Amino acid sequence: MNISIVPALKVLRPAAMLVIVILVGLVLGYWANATFVPGNSPEQPIAFSHKIHAGDNEVPCLYCHTQARRSPSAGVPAVSKCVGCHLEVATEKPQIRLLMSYWENREPIPWIKVHDLPDFVHFTHKRHVLANIECQTCHGPVETMDRITVSSRAVNGSAQVGHPWKMGLCLSCHRENEVVNGIDCLTCHK
Amino acid sequence: MSLFSRFMDGWRKYRKPGYYDEFDYHWTMTIDLDKCTGCEACVTACQAENNIPVVGEDEMAKGREMQWIRIERYWEGEYPNAKLSFIPMMCQHCDAAPCETVCPVGATYHNQDGLNAQIYNRCIGTRACAVYCPYEVRYFNYYDHEWDSPLEQQLNPDVTVRGKGVMEKCTFCIQRIRQAKDVAKDDDRRRVQDGEMQPACVQTCPTKALVFGDRKDHESQVYKSMNDPRNYRVLDELNTDSSVFYLKKVDA
Amino acid sequence: MPNIDRREFLKLVGAGGVSVGAGFMLREANKDPREYLIPHVLAPEDFSSGLDTFYNSVCSMCPAGCGISVRTREGRAKKIEGNPAHPVSQGRLCTLGQAGLQALYNPDRLTAPMRRTGEGESASFEEITWEQGLKQVGDRLDLLRAARRGNRVAFLTQGVRGHLAQLFESFMRQLGSPRLLHYDFDHPHTLYAANQQFFGESRLPYYDLANTRLLLSFGADYLNNWISPVHHSLGFGESRQGRADVRGRFVQIEPRMSISGAAADEWIPAKPGTEGILALGLAHHIVAEGNYNGADLGAWTNALADYTPDAVAEQTGVPVNTITRLADSFVDTTPSLAIGGGAAGNHSNGVDTLVAVNALNYLVGNIGQEGGLVLNPEPAGPAVQQHRASYSAMVELAEAARQGEIDILIISGTNPVFTLPPAAEFAEALAQIPLVVSLSSFLDETTALADVILPSHTYLESWGDDFPEPGVGFSVGAVSQPVVSPLYNTRGTGDIILDLARRMGSSSVMPWQNMEEFLKYGWRRIYQRGDSQTLAQGFDAFWTSVLKAGAWGETTNGSTAFTLNPDVIAGIGVAPPEFSGSEEDYPFILHPYLSPNFHDGRGANLPWMQELPDPMTSVVYGSWVEVNPVTAEEMGLSEGDLVDIQSPHGQLRVPVFVYPAIMPNVIAIPIGQGHGEYGRYAKGRGVNPIEILSPLLEPITGNLASSATRVNLTPTGGRVKLVKTGGVSRDLGRDIVQHTSLGVEVSSAADNSIPITEVTT
Repeated sequence: MNISIVPALKVLRPAAMLVIVILVGLVLGYWANATFVPGNSPEQPIAFSHKIHAGDNEVPCLYCHTQARRSPSAGVPAVSKCVGCHLEVATEKPQIRLLMSYWENREPIPWIKVHDLPDFVHFTHKRHVLANIECQTCHGPVETMDRITVSSRAVNGSAQVGHPWKMGLCLSCHRENEVVNGIDCLTCHK
Repeated sequence: MSLFSRFMDGWRKYRKPGYYDEFDYHWTMTIDLDKCTGCEACVTACQAENNIPVVGEDEMAKGREMQWIRIERYWEGEYPNAKLSFIPMMCQHCDAAPCETVCPVGATYHNQDGLNAQIYNRCIGTRACAVYCPYEVRYFNYYDHEWDSPLEQQLNPDVTVRGKGVMEKCTFCIQRIRQAKDVAKDDDRRRVQDGEMQPACVQTCPTKALVFGDRKDHESQVYKSMNDPRNYRVLDELNTDSSVFYLKKVDA
Repeated sequence: MPNIDRREFLKLVGAGGVSVGAGFMLREANKDPREYLIPHVLAPEDFSSGLDTFYNSVCSMCPAGCGISVRTREGRAKKIEGNPAHPVSQGRLCTLGQAGLQALYNPDRLTAPMRRTGEGESASFEEITWEQGLKQVGDRLDLLRAARRGNRVAFLTQGVRGHLAQLFESFMRQLGSPRLLHYDFDHPHTLYAANQQFFGESRLPYYDLANTRLLLSFGADYLNNWISPVHHSLGFGESRQGRADVRGRFVQIEPRMSISGAAADEWIPAKPGTEGILALGLAHHIVAEGNYNGADLGAWTNALADYTPDAVAEQTGVPVNTITRLADSFVDTTPSLAIGGGAAGNHSNGVDTLVAVNALNYLVGNIGQEGGLVLNPEPAGPAVQQHRASYSAMVELAEAARQGEIDILIISGTNPVFTLPPAAEFAEALAQIPLVVSLSSFLDETTALADVILPSHTYLESWGDDFPEPGVGFSVGAVSQPVVSPLYNTRGTGDIILDLARRMGSSSVMPWQNMEEFLKYGWRRIYQRGDSQTLAQGFDAFWTSVLKAGAWGETTNGSTAFTLNPDVIAGIGVAPPEFSGSEEDYPFILHPYLSPNFHDGRGANLPWMQELPDPMTSVVYGSWVEVNPVTAEEMGLSEGDLVDIQSPHGQLRVPVFVYPAIMPNVIAIPIGQGHGEYGRYAKGRGVNPIEILSPLLEPITGNLASSATRVNLTPTGGRVKLVKTGGVSRDLGRDIVQHTSLGVEVSSAADNSIPITEVTT
């Protein structure tokens, strides 16, 4: 007797095609999201614009993120720091009024984290700032952004959004600059 | 570099410790067994420093404890001449480490400071390294361990909390080494000085039985200690070329 | 190309569209969860995100008073280290001290004041406000005080020193009540009494381990739980291998090998309670051999006449040649030092035993010598010795409660329901007190019986200070400052007491708003002892520098001159120890010892401590009874066999651990487990040997003779698996721990292999 799987395949063919189409669709959808949707650009509790501060008014990054030059973490300024200027500056704008309401209630502003390194990575702002690496190298052209945004894929030299942080970004820079032991895993993996 | 010269370079390094021409630092520990009292302060210090989970009684019963440094105990003789000796045992950071050659994904390797590194992200949990390790100092995460709230507030932010399916072990407190190098750079120094940094176990040892430092610095305390006539290495006959030297217990 | 009909095609297109959407959403769901960056409103001075801040403070996990340095990051305590500037700990710390973080972040902490509702079985606690709680207690205190019945208030605390102790004292003085009791299970009452008898001062001397060449320890587990283990360990390490050409030799005399016994060069088992007799045997030999030439030689010869090596060997079970050898080397190897305590002090003859040990030091001239025993100066801070409560003082308190003489009992930090034998009937006495107030941070066995709980901060959240006892030969003090802000709605013990004092109208005498203010007031006096330079800088500068350094010291030494009161010599003598229960009915002597992990049980709620293998047995998460291998074989017992242990006062069921270094007629159980309350990690684990102790007393101090209970041991046939980490506990020729002889230069490992002993199965 001749045993063949061909008849069985014939019956299964429509089902097999369905499975293939669904799988391809899933991958495609995932890829499309990962590639074309900006990774992270949440609406912040106060519509703080880096464009106005760092761009138009040329406030240096380290004026507010003072920690960056002496601590692993750049830190966000205390509310008092914002108020220090805005007692005088642009006091009538609605967003500044919002700021002052936080200040008057002695409440911190719940900023949403945009640039988020995985917890297993050791990164220190101090070393990079002291090595005169521009903030924009990793954070993208922050001074042009009204709202801080990270891309979800590497866009070399993109002027629109910040870089996503993948290991390759760290490594290529460490290689280029010949950082001492810069490509040893333990330099960054903790 | 041509393929041939790369091959020759690799061949040349093959018999050298950790496949390096020369280590940058050569971190080494000595443990004086004549001073060790088995008090286990080092064990708790290590657990606090390195976010080592508490696995619970059931897991302990299965031999799945997680203590990067442990105290082993060996009895000799019978009552009334029974004697007990303690020996602290942790990753020996062997320069010819059996665990490094077996890892199929290169998650454990030797770095330029003579450290046996374990990169958690690479680890796929084959546990081959633990089988190859003659000192049995590699510990496997059988679960995603949890901390009863608010105990997690104690976790050290400089050390990763390891997830399920990952092998882990003593790092000689790599986070402290990193910090010390950072401080040295701040001071425009090229090298970390002796005594500037100590792993948690060394720092807390109440009898100062543990000494840590850079073997390449011949003025360092650890260099002097490892050249004590009492020195030996555990299971030295396996040629693991370990970086932990023990000083023999004195019978008197 | 297969033939697809229109229907099929549309199906596929639909499915494709849906799956693209699903893939898109899958990626969306896979994105990192939203995290927040919460800034400060006002940036505090000592806070930098991403950077460590270290605060110096004092460890309160045991009474040693080590200085600690706590690493904090962004307001959370991350790691406790020893404070290098503190002379007691010198940058080092023990395992329990390291685990203090888990007391702070313990999930079972009391988070708010509570009040008992309901009676008996249905009793439970309801949360109240601080005002309610303090008012309830304060009003009744005020009433009693106004009615001049303040003596119906009792205050029971764990042993505290420094200004908190002084605060308790003034509080009770305001009430006119003498009932202030500092109770710790392991407080060395007999040692204080022995020093009072011998040196005329009720203080502990400084034991200079670092410089000694021979240490005889009579029962004192000085490396583990006895008085100041971290400092002793520092001395041990220094003495052993810290000096050129000299290696200290350590001899440990005790019925069951402790950690100190394992570390010693020689472990000598002596019958329980005969340690003092052995000391006098040594003294006899020293005097008889003509190695003592003092003016009071005659008196000594008379006093020691009965303690011939033969007689002593008979009583102690230690061979004659060991006695004479020890005595000779104690004379020859100077400086030498004898210390006594622990189980040796917890017998009916405890005080006499420890006097005998002091006598040994005296005869060899170790007193006031470097490498011997150095007398400490008066502590700079408030002294509290007179309030230390022995077992009999606790029984008196319980009796007074039963008589209805006590209306309010305030309990702070101590857990007598756990650490007193049931014979004291303390829990029953608590039920007779109308208002029991607990200031504990945890729901321990005693707090569970309280009427009102006013939970206090842990030591890492509160202000305090400490003057270590014993000092280190000179005056030392340290301030304990909060290293993190309080986690819960709790308050500092001192703050609670000051608040209660205000409520009972004592604010004129105790005007301080909080503990910090009171501390500063107290430390002003210490500031005034300073030199002109310190004084010129002002108190605030002094205070800041003490907080920064974490320790304050003054290099005035205690007096070295010591003359022995001749009456003491005539009184020297150690009676044979008494035991409860007859030898026929109860053939074993129970040796309860403080667990290295849990101290007197206070560490049992710390998960790290539960999971830390016991150093000697490697057992975790439970209790065991240690039995000599020969005894075990005779009784057919092996590891894990459940046995019933019965004393005249109770019974326990516990698994056997065959312990190679314990006398055949002694069995040992660690103290610390067996909690009925005290949180999820401690509750219902193991057994508490205190539960079967007989209330036998040392007559001079009223101290519980906790090592003097006889028990019998009955196999039950049951068996459990002892959870432990150690595998085979023998070397089996692997040569892992290598040994060498003193002075022999070693080149290869093979020449120094140790004799391999057969494994007993």
